[in-house]
Parts: sequence; C-alpha cells; structure tokens
Amino acid sequence: MGIEFKKNLVVFHDVASVEDAEVLLEWLQGKTGAKADLSACTHLHCANLQVLMAAKPSIQAWPADAPLRAWLESALVAV
Amino acid sequence: MNPLLEQFLSEARDFLQGIGETLMQLENAPDDADLMNELFRLVHTLKGNSGLFDVPEMTRVLHAGEDLMDAVRNRRAVYSRSLADALLEAMDFVGMLCDELEADGRLSAAHGGSSARLVEALRKPIPADDNRVAAPEPEPELAPARPTSTLDSADLPLDGIPEAVRMQAYRRSCGGECLFWLDYRPDEQSFYQGEDPFFLARQTPELLWCGIQAREPWPPLAELDAYCCMLSFQGLTAASRADLEEQYRYVIDQVRLTAIPRLALVIPGGDPNGGPVYEDFVADARALLRAGDLAGLVRNVSSMLELSGPDLWIASALRWLQLVLEIGQEEGAVLDALVDCLESLAPPRWEASELAAAPSAASEPTSDRQDDAPRAEHGREAPGGERDALSPLEADTLTAVVAAQREVLALSDAPAWLPGRIKAAAEALAGCLRAVDAMASLQSLEVATASALEARSGAPLLAWIEACFPADASIERGPVGLAAEPESPPPRAGAQRPVGEDEIKFGRRAEDAIAAPKSLKVDQVKIDRLMDLIGEMVVAKNALPYLAGRAEAVFGVRELSRDIKGHYGVINRIVEEMQGAIMQVRMMPVSFVFQRFPRLVRDISRKLGKEVELILEGGDTEADKTIIEALGDPLVHIVRNSLDHGIESPGQRRAAGKAATGTLRLRATQESDRVVIEIADDGKGIDPDVIKRKAYAKGLIDETVLEQISDQEAVNLVFAAGFSTTEVISDLSGRGVGMDVVRTAVEKVNGSVALTSRKGQGSQVRLSLPLSMAVTNVMIVVSDGQRFGVPMDRVVETVRVPRAAIRVIKHSQAAVLRGRIVPLKSLNELLGLAAQPKSNDDDELAVLVVRLGDESLGLLVDDFSETLDIILKPMAGVLAGLPAYAGSALMGDGSVLVVLNLKEIL
Amino acid sequence: MKRILIVDDAATVRLYHREILEAAGFEVEEAMNGIEALERSLQAGFDLYLVDINMPKLDGYGFLRELRGQDLPQAPAIMISTEAQPSDERRAYAAGANLYLRKPVKPEHLLAQVRLLLGERRP
Repeated sequence: MGIEFKKNLVVFHDVASVEDAEVLLEWLQGKTGAKADLSACTHLHCANLQVLMAAKPSIQAWPADAPLRAWLESALVAV
Repeated sequence: MNPLLEQFLSEARDFLQGIGETLMQLENAPDDADLMNELFRLVHTLKGNSGLFDVPEMTRVLHAGEDLMDAVRNRRAVYSRSLADALLEAMDFVGMLCDELEADGRLSAAHGGSSARLVEALRKPIPADDNRVAAPEPEPELAPARPTSTLDSADLPLDGIPEAVRMQAYRRSCGGECLFWLDYRPDEQSFYQGEDPFFLARQTPELLWCGIQAREPWPPLAELDAYCCMLSFQGLTAASRADLEEQYRYVIDQVRLTAIPRLALVIPGGDPNGGPVYEDFVADARALLRAGDLAGLVRNVSSMLELSGPDLWIASALRWLQLVLEIGQEEGAVLDALVDCLESLAPPRWEASELAAAPSAASEPTSDRQDDAPRAEHGREAPGGERDALSPLEADTLTAVVAAQREVLALSDAPAWLPGRIKAAAEALAGCLRAVDAMASLQSLEVATASALEARSGAPLLAWIEACFPADASIERGPVGLAAEPESPPPRAGAQRPVGEDEIKFGRRAEDAIAAPKSLKVDQVKIDRLMDLIGEMVVAKNALPYLAGRAEAVFGVRELSRDIKGHYGVINRIVEEMQGAIMQVRMMPVSFVFQRFPRLVRDISRKLGKEVELILEGGDTEADKTIIEALGDPLVHIVRNSLDHGIESPGQRRAAGKAATGTLRLRATQESDRVVIEIADDGKGIDPDVIKRKAYAKGLIDETVLEQISDQEAVNLVFAAGFSTTEVISDLSGRGVGMDVVRTAVEKVNGSVALTSRKGQGSQVRLSLPLSMAVTNVMIVVSDGQRFGVPMDRVVETVRVPRAAIRVIKHSQAAVLRGRIVPLKSLNELLGLAAQPKSNDDDELAVLVVRLGDESLGLLVDDFSETLDIILKPMAGVLAGLPAYAGSALMGDGSVLVVLNLKEIL
Repeated sequence: MKRILIVDDAATVRLYHREILEAAGFEVEEAMNGIEALERSLQAGFDLYLVDINMPKLDGYGFLRELRGQDLPQAPAIMISTEAQPSDERRAYAAGANLYLRKPVKPEHLLAQVRLLLGERRP
C-alpha cells in the first residue's frame, strides 16, 4: 500500500517498495500532466525515485520529513 | 556461528597451513612446477571461499596473492625468498582476520590500510607489462588499491552547495571535524541484489548537504527500465572516513570519498554587478590588517555589509570574510586573499600550502576509487524488455542460458565427447522450454536433437534455436519474444528425417543406474501410511484391557484375565517403541528452518541499515516434520518484526547507550515433550502504555481493565484478534502481518506463543510446540452417559467439590480451589445437553480443571475415567463443520471417542 | 526431487551451494574432485552438475569431457569458476558445460539458472 493512484494524482504513503516502481512507471507512462503527493511518504525505494525523476510529474506536496524532502528536492525540482 | 562461516574458517586454516608448508618446500625446490601449481591452487581456492563473505580486505589480499602465484607458475615472475616473505606475511594477515572473524563474527573496519600495503607488496614482483591486473574484474573491490587524492577538491561542484551550508561546514571543520565529499554511484544491477541505494544514501552520517543526479539524460518514458539504477548520489558530510567506510562497507567500490579542505568551501557567489564603491574599503581593510586591528576590520565589514544588497557577489565575499574573522583560525594570508578578491571580484585562489593547513584525512589509507567503467556481470547484458510472467531475472537468465547453448553448439571442434555435449545442450534447452511452459516445442527440439546427433554437428539445433528463440541480435539488445511460445513449433529446423519417438531416449534418466546411497529417500505418503497403521495398532492394543475385564467379569476366568493383562504389557511396550521409531523417521532438526535466517537477517538488516548479530542455538533439536514445517512462517514474521521494529539503527542504539550492533537470538530447546523456540532481541522493546491505549481505543478492553491490567498482560494484547489492524501493524509488526496471525498459525499445531518485553531493553517471543502431532494424550470424562476426550495438555487437575461449596455469583457458578476462585461451567450445558451434572454418593461434583490461556476453569462432569494415547483424526463430513470437536478416535471396544475442542466451546 | 551434484574441492563452496540449493528444495550430493564426481555420476545419474574448474586429481574440464564421453543420458552442467578470461568460458563450453558462472554466485542468480536448466519455474 505504498502508492495509491487517483485520477491524475499518485499519492505516496509510508514506504514505496521496489515492486511499486514497476506499477508506478506503467501508470506514469499512460499519463500526461500527472501529479504526485509525497506528503505522507517516509521513504521510497530508489527505483521509484528514478521513475519520478524520469517522468517529472509535478510535485503537489513534498514529504513532511525534512531530510527526505531535501534529498527529493535536489532530484525533482525542475531547474 | 553459522555453519558456513565455521566451515570457511576451518577450511581456511587448513589452506593457510598448506600454503605455509608448500612455500617451505618451494624454498628447497624453487623450480618444482607441481609445487607452484599446488600453491596457486591453494591460494586461488581460498580466495574463492573468502569471496562468499563480506571480507573485502581478505579477498583483496588473497586475490593479489593469487595473481602473484599465477605469474610465478607461468614464469612471468621469479620465485625468490622475498617473494615468499611477502606471501607469508599476507597469509599471516589472512590468519589474523580469520581469528577476528571467529571471535566477533565480522571484521572491524580498521584493516583497509594493512590490506592495501600487503596488496602492494604482493603486486610488486609482478612485471608491470602484465596486463592481467588491468583486465576487467568481476569484483571491483579486488582491483588494486590506489592511493588517495585522485581527485582535487577544486574539481568538485562545491559552488553548487548553498552558501549557508558551506558556512556551517566551514564552522564544523574549524571545530576539528573532517569534511568529505561523497560520490556514490550504485551498481546498475543493485536493485536485483536487494539493495536500495537511496536508503543507504539517506543513512549517511553527519550529512550537511545532499544531491541526486541522473548519470545520463533520461530516455523516453516508454523505454525506461525502472530496475536499472541510473542515479548517482552526492553529499557533503562531516563524518569521519572510518564511519563513512563503515556505512558504505558493502558498496565501497561504488563510492568515492574526497577530503575537502575547509578553504575549498570559501567561494563567494552571487550577482557580480552593482553595489557601493569598494576601493576605499579595500584600502582601509589592508591598513587595518597590517596594523593587526582585526576588531576594526570586523566593524568595517559589518557596516559595509549593511550597505550591500545580500544577493551581490561582493556581499557574499564580505560574509565569508566576516565568518573567517569571527572564527579566527586562518593565517593572515587567507585574510589578505579575501580582501584582495573584493577588489578583483575573482574567487580567492588558495595555495596548496594553505589547503594543506586545513584538517583533512588525505593522508589516511583510502578506498578512493574511480570506477565508472561498466562492470561485466556474469551472464549477459539484460534485455530491458518485459516478457509476460517472466521476472527480469528470469528473462535475463533465459537469455543467458540460450546464448550459452548457442555458443556450445556453434563450436567447430569435433571431440569424441561431441554427442554427449549435444545431448547436454538439448537437455538445457528442454529445461528452458519447460520452465516457460512451452511444452509444444519439446517435440521439435527432440527432432532437431536427433538430427544433430546423427550429423555429429550442432547445426540442426542451432537452426532450431534460431526458430524458437529468434533474432541473434536480441541477445545483446531487445527482448527475445518468448513470452508467448510460437503457436506451432516451426518445422523448418534442420531435421530432414523425423525420427521415431521410441528412438529418442535422451533426457530420461537411465532407470537401471545403480545407486549406493547412505540414506533412503522415502515418499511422504508411505510414512503417513505407517503412521495410520501404528494408530490402528494403538487402538487395537487398547482392546486388550477391555478383553481382560470381560474375561474376569463375564466369564469368571481370572487367570486368563491376568495372562491377557501380562501380554498387554508386552504388546504395549512394543507398540510404544514402534511408535517412537516411526516418529523418529519423521523427526527433523530445527536447523532446517533456522538455516534460512542468516541470509534473511543479513539481507534485511542491510536493507534497513541496521547492524544485527544473529545467534542460532539448538539447531539440532528435533521435532516432527509437520511441526518443523509449521514453524517456518511464524518465525519469519517474528524475526522480521524484530528487525523492522525491535532493533534500532546503530545511531539510535549508541544514543541509548547500547552497542551499535543489535543481537537477535534464536534458541531451540526441548522441554519434556515440547520444543521451545525463543526469539529474543535487545532492541527497543514494546511500550505497554501504547498497547493499552490502542486496545482501549479498539474496544478490546474496557476502562476497568485499562486501569488494572499489568504491563505483561498489556503486552500480550498484541496477540488478540482484531488488535493488529492497520495503524497498529505499522507500529508493531509492519508489512501487514499481525501477531495474531502468528498465534493462529502456532495454535493450529497445538502450540502456544508468549511475548515478554521490556521497554528499551528488548522483546522475547517464546513459541512452545508439541514434539509431534501424531499422538494425543487425552483424559476421558463421562457426562450424561457419554464419554468425551479432553486433551491432557489442557487438564490442570481433577477434583471433587461438595455441592455445598459451590457458590453462585451473578448466575455463574464458582468454587474456591486452593485459595483461588475458579469459575465453573457445566459440560452438559456447553454441549446443549439438558441433563444436570450428577454427583457421587457423598454429594460431590466432579470438576475437571482446565487451562485456557492464562486462566483456569472448572468443567462440571459426571465422572472421570482413564487417560489414553490416541491418534486423533479430524472430523470428516458433516461433523467437520462442528467446531466443538477437535476430532475423534477409535477405541478398543470399537466405539468412537469424540475429543472436545475446549477453546471453541468455552 | 531433482538431484544436483556439486563438484568442488573447497568444502566452503560446497556448503555454500548446498545451503542455497537445499533451501530451494533440491537434493544435493557432493564430490571433491573430478574423479569422485565421475564415479558418482556413473553410479547414479544427476539432473544437474555444478562444477568448479580448479581441482586436484581431475579438474572440471577433464570431468566434463569424461562425463560427456559416456553413452548415457546427459544432464546440463554449470561451470563455476573464479576465472574471468573469455578463453576460459570457451574452454568450458568445449568441454561440455552449458553455462559459465563466476564465483561468488549470488543465490538468486544461481537458483534462477538452476531452475531454468531443470525446467522449473519459481516455486
């Protein structure tokens, strides 16, 4: 239950596992203008991270965990 | 210690001794080729063994030793006494590491330096043009250690780090801490190795700044392989090199550490245009510096800063000057340079001597290594594509195996063993087909194989491969389209003449092969049959006392009765021994389930970034196969719980004053007729208050209980069904598996589970299971004229209570037994029988006191009868739906005894 | 149950492979060198062989050549070595190996390969 898909939004809960990455990639492949809500995320497996980096969904909410947010911002904030 | 490590150490000592002895012999016969080969083989094998463990320091040295001996035996290096000395010293080092492994189960991080030095000594005699060392290595940590400072801090993108962070780092460096730039490029295959590089990176100690980058531009999303790691992680950290090397111990070859002198951080940045006029300030500042009036300079800098917009380059330079003045650790030259750059508007250029003055770990031994070259994985390049139902690993494996057979079949030599080689390749291909459920192609494979054998050539099979696993190029790139097996096997395989099926024998094991095994492999079904038979035997023997009773009571032949009883004793003994012997066949050691844990614990704890020492004890304790098999899943749950939620991260443990490495102990013991497994950790334990609150919130306990319940009772609430719902799971057990699942699984085999925990000190789960399920000892009770069995392990005692001593409290009956109030229930009532319990002549009622969990309860019955061993059969047919009964057994007189399931009826 | 013969002179390596394979439900036997392996495989066939290269008495190449020279059903063989040179891989195939792996082999990789060669899918 690491990730949950809503209409155009993917919501991360707790920890997204390595298996989630495949599903996430598939979902993102079929979407344009996808958004991600990371507020409840405490960790996401590296595979999920790189899927997000490649797909560049707009990040609607950053993790509450400040260090995690710092890591993710370095990777996901559009330059 | 785990058996594998034990085996390794004992074998390693033998090898070390062998190496020493062979070296001594070589001293006397330096040209003996056999001795050299032997020496090579010993070092080579020992290196191979060490590669199975995470002992890079040892493997590295042995690898260098192996290369050296290879050079010697091939006459590329000359054997000499000094060479022997280098090898002996290296082997002493290996021996020392073995001792440490034996004592601590692991190596401390302090051996990198010695290891590097020894490797260097071993490599020295190998001629420099020997390119073996430069060949791509499967294990990068085996590459020769290189000296440090391969990278200058000036090449690093330090200016990408926010100024505030750099200033903070500068302060910490002035406080005596080392600064390191971390560059972590995980192996592309690391996800398949169960690693989560991001998790590892997040655990970097003393991280001041972090960043993640893609190594290459991302491909279009449709072509992205989520499981090929393409990221690199950077960080600035104030942790020591030793701590960092410890953190990245398992992937040290993928990490580059560069010591950062603090002045390298002093990089002004911002808008270079605008701001007040600085010429006067610079002149004044120089004068103040010459005069040694630092306080004056500080004042000037402050007022100048107020005049400058904060985003200006000049303002940034001033802030640095301010910081350097405030801390006051730099030489005058540094201040001069900073003042100069206010004039030149160019970043200060630090002299090497100034950089060296700043603390850095550059002189330490290091694992600095640039390893950007892709490393050869065994097997083949992974095809990125998806194949239905095949995992990426399976798809890769399939590709690799097919490619290997292609190579085998394409060989142009024709040795005597060619037919065997063809058959083996065909067998490998048949395996591939069966594994991907492509049975339809097996026949065409057999045909192609037959033609290949006839032609003594791999060509027909190669053609078959091209048809069935098409596109040669795909091996290197795209997916092989084997997801769906081609509908009809392509007929165009080279076979011209179909071969009759009866001629195709390969692939089937020769039935007449003579085996001489030490142990017999017996089908489970046969053992089960034996169990059934012995069950009938137990029942049949139980008929004898009944027969003896009849002989005396009905026929009045006392002597015959006595003879029958005597014989019954003999048969009883034989049956018991037979039963024991059959049970013995079914016995398995607990190590059968234990053996998976070293790996599991290692992998999970690594993933979680925790240090855990696993201690397994009593692996040779035996129990029935059913019990052992039933143990597996509950144990995995419990161990996972301990790792996930019990044992803390090394940092938290240190903060709590504990050793950084947690201990997880699995101990099996036999206690009378039960096997007991204890799983104990020294983690953070369970907070009873949290449990109480949750249980109350879930309505499992009421307010009265909430106030009265002891801590131990509270902890045991985690076993209550309905407790382990979502949020509690994440607190206590994770992964959606609650402790009630464990309890259910254990109770299914008549086991019990108990949890004790001390907050901050750890938890202990105790599983108690019967040694065997097959035979149940029951007590027979009579109620309303019927006989019922009650499992003996539930029975506490049998007592007779005067009717007058039974009290009625709020419609419930109870009696005081041994000073405790025991609630009483009538068995008749529980079973829906109308009759009242009968009393004996003294007006006493028979009370069977049984244990249910932690409570005792009295069952009112009419009378007690004997205890019996029975083979319990589960209820069949309609009766199977009645939860009140645990099963039935056939009695000696042919009647059926129904055994009660007390848990259900009470 | 499928039977696998592990041929390696290093007891540690044998134990390592044995633990992996037995945990996955395979029946495992061991031989310490090529001669012993040959004797065992002539006594009773195996479904798969895991063969080390460097061994005393008869090395892995020699064992495979002898094995493949027998007029018997042939089972796949995986050669496991620490050698990295491509020439070793070709030599292994020429001798009769069906797959060439380098030590140490990761358990999940080994199991995937063994299962595939034996025609089995994930458990």
